[in-house]
Amino acid sequence: MQPGYFPANIIFALIFFAALGFFSFTVYKLYRILRLGQPEDRFDQIGRRLRGVATFVFGQRRVIQEPAGWGHFLIFWGFIIITIGSLETFGVGLYHGFAYWKVIGKPLTAILYLLQDLLCAGVVLALVVSLYRRFVLRPERLRFSDQKAANLDACIIISLILLLVACLFGARGAEYRLTQLEPGRYFPSAAFISVAVSGLFARLSEASLVVWYSFFWWIHTLVILGFLVYVPFSKHLHILGAIPNVFFRRFRPIGELSKMDLEDESVETYGVSKIEEFTWKQLLDLCACTECGRCSENCPAALTGKPLSPKEMIHNLKKHLLAKGKLLTDAKINPEGCAATELKKALAGEVCLTDEIWSCTTCGNCMEHCPVFIEHIPKLVDMRRYLVLMESNFSLEVQTVLRNWETNSNPWGLAFASRGDWAKGLDVQTLAENPEVEYLLYVGCTGSFDTRAKKVTAAMVKLLKQAGVSFGILGAEERCCGETARRLGNEYLFQSMATELTELINGHGVKKIITTCPHCYNTLKNEYPQFGGNWEVLHHSELLHQLLNEGKLKPRRRLDKQITFHDSCYLGRYNNIYEEPREILRSIPGLRLKEMERCRNKSFCCGAGGGRMWMEETLGGASKDQ
Amino acid sequence: MTGVCIIAEFRNGAFRQVSFEIASEGRRLADALGEPLTAIVLGDGVTAEAATLGQYGVKKVYLIDQPELKDYLAEIHVPVLAEILRSVQPKVVLSAASANGKDLSARLAARLGAGLAQDCTELLIENGALKAKRPVYAGKTYAWCAWTNGSYPQMASCRPNVMACSLIDASKSASVETPAITLPAVVKSRIVKVEASETKVDLAEAQVIVSGGRGMKDPKNFALLEELAQLLGGAVGASRPAVDAGWRPHADQVGQTGKVVTPTLYIACGISGAIQHLAGMGSSKFIVAINKDPEAPIFSKADYGVVEDLFQFIPAFIKEVKKLKAACG
Amino acid sequence: MEIIVLLKQVPDTETVIKIGEDGKSIATSSIKWVINPYDEYAVEAALRLKDSQGANVTILSLGPQRMVESIRAALAMGADKGVLVDDPAAEGSDALGKARVLAAALKQIPHDLIFCGHRAVDDDENQVGIMVAELLDIPHLGLAVTIEMADGLIKISRPIEGAKVQLESPMPALITLGGAHAIWQPRYASLPGIMKAKKKPLEVKKLADLELSPEQVGAAAAKIMVVSLKMPVPRQSGLMISGDTAAKAKELVRLLHEEANVI
Repeated sequence: MQPGYFPANIIFALIFFAALGFFSFTVYKLYRILRLGQPEDRFDQIGRRLRGVATFVFGQRRVIQEPAGWGHFLIFWGFIIITIGSLETFGVGLYHGFAYWKVIGKPLTAILYLLQDLLCAGVVLALVVSLYRRFVLRPERLRFSDQKAANLDACIIISLILLLVACLFGARGAEYRLTQLEPGRYFPSAAFISVAVSGLFARLSEASLVVWYSFFWWIHTLVILGFLVYVPFSKHLHILGAIPNVFFRRFRPIGELSKMDLEDESVETYGVSKIEEFTWKQLLDLCACTECGRCSENCPAALTGKPLSPKEMIHNLKKHLLAKGKLLTDAKINPEGCAATELKKALAGEVCLTDEIWSCTTCGNCMEHCPVFIEHIPKLVDMRRYLVLMESNFSLEVQTVLRNWETNSNPWGLAFASRGDWAKGLDVQTLAENPEVEYLLYVGCTGSFDTRAKKVTAAMVKLLKQAGVSFGILGAEERCCGETARRLGNEYLFQSMATELTELINGHGVKKIITTCPHCYNTLKNEYPQFGGNWEVLHHSELLHQLLNEGKLKPRRRLDKQITFHDSCYLGRYNNIYEEPREILRSIPGLRLKEMERCRNKSFCCGAGGGRMWMEETLGGASKDQ
Repeated sequence: MTGVCIIAEFRNGAFRQVSFEIASEGRRLADALGEPLTAIVLGDGVTAEAATLGQYGVKKVYLIDQPELKDYLAEIHVPVLAEILRSVQPKVVLSAASANGKDLSARLAARLGAGLAQDCTELLIENGALKAKRPVYAGKTYAWCAWTNGSYPQMASCRPNVMACSLIDASKSASVETPAITLPAVVKSRIVKVEASETKVDLAEAQVIVSGGRGMKDPKNFALLEELAQLLGGAVGASRPAVDAGWRPHADQVGQTGKVVTPTLYIACGISGAIQHLAGMGSSKFIVAINKDPEAPIFSKADYGVVEDLFQFIPAFIKEVKKLKAACG
Repeated sequence: MEIIVLLKQVPDTETVIKIGEDGKSIATSSIKWVINPYDEYAVEAALRLKDSQGANVTILSLGPQRMVESIRAALAMGADKGVLVDDPAAEGSDALGKARVLAAALKQIPHDLIFCGHRAVDDDENQVGIMVAELLDIPHLGLAVTIEMADGLIKISRPIEGAKVQLESPMPALITLGGAHAIWQPRYASLPGIMKAKKKPLEVKKLADLELSPEQVGAAAAKIMVVSLKMPVPRQSGLMISGDTAAKAKELVRLLHEEANVI
């Protein structure tokens, strides 16, 4: 049964093409399932997308942010090398005389074989460490609700790869021996590990060597082909999904949620209540996940015992997609008549529990740390949109705050006519009084009504005046920006608030806006262009930083304190403003800045985003206590 | 059309306090008009007490004493009152702006084709006609109302606890008459049950709420607030820190993420007044704040503020409230 | 079963009230108009019966064109159709005049139950609903905090001082709603509800359509009217009571009893 000779090569060819065929068919079925999703254009900026693949896939940039990621780096590159090697193996399977050195020459082959040896050894090391981590160290992020299934899946894969690599070394060892005995064969001695392994075959006869070689070759090849067939059915579907997912990654800022078309009268359902109502890209996300757990590891909800774990959510959505997608793409099944429970499952409610959906603070940690660019937040918001717009399914506190926005344009329901009262005695002009100013200082609801925040607004006014900045406010005319209404899923309310505010601001001919609230900042900057609001929007830390650099503001008084800066999610992760506040703090004499363990893009969410400020925390612990 | 007539409220074998208040007010109006003051009482077992209205200046009481009249039912009480009033023909009719009083006044006014001012806090006679003051727009404004020429009777229901009740002569008795009126024969609606309320008033419905915050320091101390609430016929609420600390159940939480309440009187004890709490009780008619910290934000929203240790103040306050209750009968 | 809900539009309760130039009405410039909260509870109560027993719910309003927005909001919650009586001749009506208009409109609409708030939070007249019942000669059950229906009878419970009363009546009957938001929890309209509401039938009627003559309603027919509006004596927010503990307690009680009239 020596590979490459008749009849082995025929048998191999049959097996090979059967496996390949089966694999292709599986991939085709997956493709059809993805096609169930709604359209989305992710084909812009192809060059940039390709560069992304180079950086994030081949460069493994996000993966190696964590030390454990180097293990994956090894496994990934090992995999690539093994694949390159496998092509030679398959070539040999078809014709025994095929060899790379005959095509690319001996020197290059030597380098290739050396790399193969090193990386395969690296893979073994990485896999042993993986097993140790998963079964001995048991870090939080590898925890899973269905731990047995997850561990089993991992074990199968790891075992298969170890077997594959072991057989590879076995075959190579035997082959090296054969090379000593047969002329016309070449096996580079540079591949020292294989050479070392060949020591096991030292005293065997040629005939035995051929048997051993064939044995290892067949096992190795069958494992590879088996792997090929098995991968789409395990969590290693990730291998197929990750690269396309990185290619199609999101370029729009994460602070820009999609704008629903509410004008179209023919639309009967709003938000996502069925898996096929997600876009194809959102479904592709599910296939890219390998359950590494980096999302959940950084999720404020998961870390404080709430029902939401982004990893589990993606996993549950994937399971549901594959099960339901299979039924929906099966021409023999009529979805209307079929009694399969998977078809009837409510996406928001059964596949994902409503408590899960409402636990998200939209902090963005999940998306920031996902190595394959899965987008968790838009899925949650899409499901919230369904719950809010279609079912009015939300807690009483949420109803209170929605009504407050509708009636008085602020979440506390305080009289809208009193919105400008914070400015009494501060000598600030409204745009109605004086439209010829450079900046609009958009105060926001908190800055207008909350006792502590009003002090921030007053301080900001003082600083702007001191620096001689030309600005005005909207005063009692100001309206809430609606950011939170959108995060809560009430797109209808948000769009009416955004349209109104845009008209108001544009009506005054405003070109530049300063705001003190990161949430207002994010929406005015990234989302209001959807409504015709195209302004230069600055967060107050950006402006103050600028003024400091221009010498227009000079901190004089000493403040002997040690303080730390908490990076707001919507300032940091969402809009990449990390340094400006720090530089402002550093410019104050006497101030000692100490960084928290979780800072910058790993900053821990305060727990109030995504509308959670207005909801009771009945499950788990408080995010703010962490 | 002459005289003032009051519709007294009689329940559980006694006149309710408000009946004496409207009797006193009726007396004042009758004096201003120079006309007689009468009263109507419907109930079960009223005969024994009826004449006591004379102590407040009522000259004559029309009463009907029958078991069917024990509890108020519009279908029975209103036609009877209407018939009596049609024969008495007073110029002014006063009733109590209690739950039953407001109910019967409205139906009665429609039956008589009269003009009615509900929940009045002040009444006076101007040019021989009644003028009434009542709160509107959640008490943010007051309306003075007047009846158009020749519009009789002029009906007004009076808010309890407002009109001064003045005992004129403890020895005086009113004369009593039972009009020959039969109760309506066909009555479609009926009273299924009347149950005395459990002592605990529901927070959402309470007209008086006494709330405790972080300043209460210990769950045991809420007993003080419960005593005050009971005295005032109200409920006990809590701000978020007190609930978070486990001192009170979440059902008692007043605030943005708790209950939004609109009582007539809200007494905030040891509550700083963060905006989330204010969002839950800001629409209260009257807000009293008791806090040791003079800078507490709640004082800017309170109608009456007391900077004092609540553990000193509340007992003193309870003492004074008890004194007031004793004085007012 | 036909349920009619009487609905009024009022300024939102947070509105800063300013007295208008005529001295007897409020300035309407910066007002956000909303459904009278008690009428909203009435809509919710009607919709609950519709959900459990099946019914048609009609919204009936008396007032100017701006009321259409509130009627549509009630339709978005789930009501089936709306009727607005908009006639300048009805302006200036007292409660009885308004009740006459509503009763006349109701005579043209088949009804088993009529729900309405016990009062409107703007003028606080607290009579129109009950007056409508008297004019239609049907029983009324007032200030309901719970409503149930069984065996063709409508049953409510209502709070009175120190007690809870349960009343029952056959239909047709009129119920006025008491309670609070936390008790009734009026439903939030879904977006499809809002969209559908735009197409639900909304009739506008004049007095002539109701067979009512102008002499029966309007300012001329009113028995009582508001002659002036006054702002309360401006109490400084945070009137700080001073003195020693006992004196403060005494003063507070006095203020609450005599000035605020709440105890």
